Amino acid sequence: MELFSNILYDTVYHSTPIILCVLGGIFAYKANVLNIALEGMMLNGAFVSVFTVYLTGSISAGILAAVLTTLLWGLVFSLLGITGKGNVIVIGLGINLIVPAIADFVLKRMELANISLQNVSVSSMKINIPILGEIPFLGKIISGHPLITYLAFVGILFFTVLMYKTKFGVYVRVVGENEDSAISLGIRTNRYKYVAVLIGSVCCALAGVNLSLERMSMFTNNMTAGRGFIAIAAIYCGQGRPIPSVLYAILFGIARSLAVNLSVYAGPAAGLFDTIPYIIMVAVLAAVSYMKHKTVKVRGFKLE
Amino acid sequence: MRNRKLLIAVSNSVFPVILAFVLGGIIILMIGGNPIETYGILIKKSLFTARGFTNTLHYAGPLILTGLAIAVTFKAKVYNMGVEGQMLLGGFFAGIAGAYLPEMSPILHKTICFAVAIVCGMIFAMIPAILKVKCHVNEMVVTLMLNYAMIKTLEFLTTGVFRDRSAGYVATPTIKDGAMFQRFGSSRMTMFFIISLILLAVMYILMEKSKLGYEITAIGKNPEFAEATGMRMGRKIIIMMLISGALSGIAGAGWMMSDQFKYTLSFSANPGLGWEGMLIALLGGHSPMGVFIASVFYAALKTGSDSINMYTSVPKEIVSIIQGLIILFLAVRFIKEHTQVFARTKKGEEA
Repeated sequence: MELFSNILYDTVYHSTPIILCVLGGIFAYKANVLNIALEGMMLNGAFVSVFTVYLTGSISAGILAAVLTTLLWGLVFSLLGITGKGNVIVIGLGINLIVPAIADFVLKRMELANISLQNVSVSSMKINIPILGEIPFLGKIISGHPLITYLAFVGILFFTVLMYKTKFGVYVRVVGENEDSAISLGIRTNRYKYVAVLIGSVCCALAGVNLSLERMSMFTNNMTAGRGFIAIAAIYCGQGRPIPSVLYAILFGIARSLAVNLSVYAGPAAGLFDTIPYIIMVAVLAAVSYMKHKTVKVRGFKLE
Repeated sequence: MRNRKLLIAVSNSVFPVILAFVLGGIIILMIGGNPIETYGILIKKSLFTARGFTNTLHYAGPLILTGLAIAVTFKAKVYNMGVEGQMLLGGFFAGIAGAYLPEMSPILHKTICFAVAIVCGMIFAMIPAILKVKCHVNEMVVTLMLNYAMIKTLEFLTTGVFRDRSAGYVATPTIKDGAMFQRFGSSRMTMFFIISLILLAVMYILMEKSKLGYEITAIGKNPEFAEATGMRMGRKIIIMMLISGALSGIAGAGWMMSDQFKYTLSFSANPGLGWEGMLIALLGGHSPMGVFIASVFYAALKTGSDSINMYTSVPKEIVSIIQGLIILFLAVRFIKEHTQVFARTKKGEEA
């Protein structure tokens, strides 16, 4: 039972950054701007937050700096990709390469191998919810997470409403589905694309802060370890709809938490749990696309 | 007309490079270094000394192959991001074949290793290709995912099944002498570089002179039109992916047999030969000659970065930043193909 509740707690723990990335990516996906730079933006959030706290000692300054600098990357991405009409895949890859390079550069310059904050304790970041936390089994799983974890789960609801119940959400989807008709309606398409990308930056920054500052109060380079790409895959599997995409993100959280918790029993083979979500996702993608194209009989082959 | 197109293509590759170096120079200035001196050392130590130049060529070998592997699919707008995984798989099993097969004649041993790697790379590239053709799955996502699944699986195999217990760290056994490429003198260059040059020539003929190359270009320009003219897209995509898989497999095997000699968890270093291949393919404009020049340039940055560390106070990570900036700027076509900038000067000449 102890193990089971640990697995569930870790599921929440490991899902959080991916959920945030997914939430950040869906608007860009719906606006037809594929944001591959989620990974780099998340790493930027992780690095800048810890680095700022290391220099200033103030946690709120760290979070603020992380969000602002990641917004800057979002602007670079939008300027080159939307205004400059560059290939967004290449720009995303570029950002994914530059951010770890900058982090490496700064770390070398400061003669540090990694940054670990001595004066920030991880346990002080955890928030115990008063009443919910006392429910016997569930309490342990729900309560005792850092702030951004709660934000992420509230964010699922918020973004679902934003996407389906507001004018903004409808416009973003129109821009993505048919840009020409959006223009003919007088919608400023570029503006909506910009906002979609920038929402993504903020979410990724928070994901990074959660990953480095809140969970471990330290930064090592490349600590995001492909979570941004996992988020992209989750978005694709869920076709940009918030709830299904988030469910795929949680699938990765479950796999990760199984790998961590069962490694005591299974030895190195526990690492293979990590591969399961990837394979499930490829299978899901194949099934979804197959079903979609089965009923459509179009001559011609369209490359995406 | 042809010259003008070439000029635009070249300037579209050179301009981002210059821009990235200028920005890099500003960063160097900001931390109190001397950009001209730093860049001087970077270029001198990697291109203008015999030892540096041969080392550069040694590093360029696998990069040429991964660059070609990317170029052949990207040119047709099939975004195969799985080169890294294909390359790792090929390298891993070439290493296993090199270590566990009994002693035999060196040439036979190397051939077997290459064959194993080619088969592995091709099988791994087939999965996304078939999914794309049969189920219309976005190949980019599938290849990205399979990359990670592959890295995790190889990590498991290295730490578990094939681990060399006598080594102090996680690694597979070292390959036998027969499977190793011998170095030329004191430099790091081996026969493998010659092999990659031969493959480059083959790919040049394939991509520029053959029917398949024409079809790849046509598909990349306009897939609907290509299909309408009667090209069998599905089959072409599978062929392209197979070529890409084979090239990445060879790249991995060659890197294994000429440099690493065993599979460690940092086999292709950071960011990985496959990802670097992507940068090279973009820089070279998806043409084989461009890929060759770009990979020598990229490898020069790699060898030169060590000298920067040695002779200046600037950390060598500046080179990675410059590389990232290059790829970022490469995405945007600063000079459009139908620009008037060059046309105007031409008109002036005619008048």
